[in-house]
Amino acid sequence: MSVESSSTSVAVTDGQSKNFRKPKYSRFSQQELDAWQPILTPSWAISIFTVIGLIFIPVGLASLFASESVVEVPFRYDDECLPPDYKDDALEYIQNDNINKTCTRNLTIKNKMKAPIYVYYQLGNFYQNHRRYVKSRDDKQLRNKASENDVGSCSPEDYTSTELGHKPIVPCGIIAWSLFNDTYRISSNNKDLVINKKNIAWKSDQLAKFGSDVYPKNFQIGGLIGGARLNESIPLSEQEDLIVWMRTAALPTFRKLYGKIETDIEVNEEVMLVIENNYNTYEFGGRKSLVLSTTTWVGGRNHFLGMAYILIGGVSLLLAVGFLLLYVMQPRPLGDPSYLSWNRNPGSLR
Amino acid sequence: MVKKGARKITLSIGDGANDVSMIQAAHVGIGISGMEGMQAVMASDFAIAQFRYLADLLLVHGRWSYLRICKVVIYFFYKNLTFTLTQFWFTFQTGFSGQRFYDDWFQSLYNVIFTALPVIIVGLFDKDVSSSLSKKYPELYMEGIKNVFFKWKVVAIWAFFSVYQSLIFFYFVSTTNLRKIFGLWDVSTMAFTCVVITVNLRLLMICNSITRWHYISVGGSILAWFIFIFIYSGISTPYDRQENIYFVIYVLMSTFYFYIMLLLVPAAALFCDFVYQGVQRWFFPYDYQIIQEMHRDEVDNTGRAQLLEVGNQLTPAEARSYAISQLPRELSKHTGFAFDSPGYESFFAAQLGVYAPPKAWDVARRASMRSKPKIGHKK
Repeated sequence: MSVESSSTSVAVTDGQSKNFRKPKYSRFSQQELDAWQPILTPSWAISIFTVIGLIFIPVGLASLFASESVVEVPFRYDDECLPPDYKDDALEYIQNDNINKTCTRNLTIKNKMKAPIYVYYQLGNFYQNHRRYVKSRDDKQLRNKASENDVGSCSPEDYTSTELGHKPIVPCGIIAWSLFNDTYRISSNNKDLVINKKNIAWKSDQLAKFGSDVYPKNFQIGGLIGGARLNESIPLSEQEDLIVWMRTAALPTFRKLYGKIETDIEVNEEVMLVIENNYNTYEFGGRKSLVLSTTTWVGGRNHFLGMAYILIGGVSLLLAVGFLLLYVMQPRPLGDPSYLSWNRNPGSLR
Repeated sequence: MVKKGARKITLSIGDGANDVSMIQAAHVGIGISGMEGMQAVMASDFAIAQFRYLADLLLVHGRWSYLRICKVVIYFFYKNLTFTLTQFWFTFQTGFSGQRFYDDWFQSLYNVIFTALPVIIVGLFDKDVSSSLSKKYPELYMEGIKNVFFKWKVVAIWAFFSVYQSLIFFYFVSTTNLRKIFGLWDVSTMAFTCVVITVNLRLLMICNSITRWHYISVGGSILAWFIFIFIYSGISTPYDRQENIYFVIYVLMSTFYFYIMLLLVPAAALFCDFVYQGVQRWFFPYDYQIIQEMHRDEVDNTGRAQLLEVGNQLTPAEARSYAISQLPRELSKHTGFAFDSPGYESFFAAQLGVYAPPKAWDVARRASMRSKPKIGHKK
């Protein structure tokens, strides 16, 4: 009897009697799903590198271009605005309320700045991302009046001292307590450039995170004053400086929006900055700056994004060319059995 | 003896009750289920139905299993290392105060929802070469014996790329934020989005065979992240004391910055891995990669008939005897004891001319054997 494969399979299926307890067949459980096998051939590698290069370099150039067009004028004033008499005793200067803290400086703007011009205050060496600082707030209290007494995590700025009645502080916590209180006035040609301090905070914060029926209470009445005082008749949802300040920054050097100037500043215009140097950064070696900046679609003046794109795109194109040259000069034929390890060193299997 | 003396991994295979102790003594014991009862199967680590399936078990499933375990374990360490190191670089910027970079929910759900399913799919389905090729090139089995995919060198390379990627995640996101007014939670949400996307795409890069479940799980995980963050950012419950992530993603997604970063950061992070893979495949290819290339144009026919087919291994004589053995036949009445065949006594008795009828209890015993296999004794 000659056996062919067809009759073998017939015999096989006949031999599988009813006693077989096979699991139910499905392509999933038998691992027979349709699959494709990605093989990174040289042509794929070269084309992917080329595509990356062709996409990234233009995007990088566009970002860099936009970033270059931003005009940014920083002015560091914590050292400038320290009177020469107090050079060695900055703490005495800053903590003495009787000393006039007004500081006037002139600045020449070298490029035209188109409205809106953003006014930022920049702090350096200020760790708003310190664990105990970040934790020292209570969002429930900020949101509604009923949770006024919810000052659990705000210690030590949770209650006033016992002499003052041990009352809850609204808004509680070190973040609010350390509110930045330098003020700026900018004028040009003896005309005040109005700084619009509305809509500097996130809309969502104003609407949902800070309640419109929550008013500051017992704020900054203790012995140690950490920053600005708050107007007790304005609800928290309208205290935009506080809202901006309470969005804790990620890094120890950060900027926060102070306001916007809605008029243009021309080339070589001389502006006069009047700064109230109230905030005590001298105690911990912090730095304060005032920054005037325009913005574009990519944000402020930051070349990093554009440079990163161009770098990746450039390296990608270089690698594409490199691989192409290698492919031409030293090709490994695809699927050449002579590269199998047992063909290359025979006898290596044992 | 081989196990203790030569200190090799041993495999034993057997089908009868007498094989049980051998199966238990070896590192890997394989039992054949069938005619001689289920004792061997119950004592074994693996059970197969016929001896010839051993080739499949070793060369196909065993090999794939090694490959999959290596991939799953290494990928698991990589994704957690990347995620954690990104936070680690942040601690340098917080005055070492221990402030967490990511929100608590992000951290908890990272391994549970956002990166869990794809690696399971890879562990289930990844194949370097098809089953027929695995049997055609049994030398591929040496990859497992030499532990090619989980050497210290391999782990070190993955760890190195993990460090590189975490540096990219943290420093790209934070340096581009130096002149922005995003706060801590906005930066960390941006970084976390990049981590989730990159880590899932990295999985696709290590797959040797991609099914639609890979796409579904990778896409689904990334989608799950977005759905989660949309919901988490959108609600404010009275139970949260600190609502750090409220509205963050909506503000982020309203900036060009978000999309530009989403294009740049995963590409920059995966760039080096991609280069490494290209160079490795070209200049230092693994054997399975060569075999993949050799057979890249062949259709992978993994139908059931092919899996059971032994036609390419048997000579015509073997095929014939195999076919005969597959014909329906009498069930054996052997009990595993020597000289215990039915009618033994009567055979020798008949030779001497004595009539010895089968004992009633013997008949009953053999008739009940099918449902009640006896435990074999050691000889």
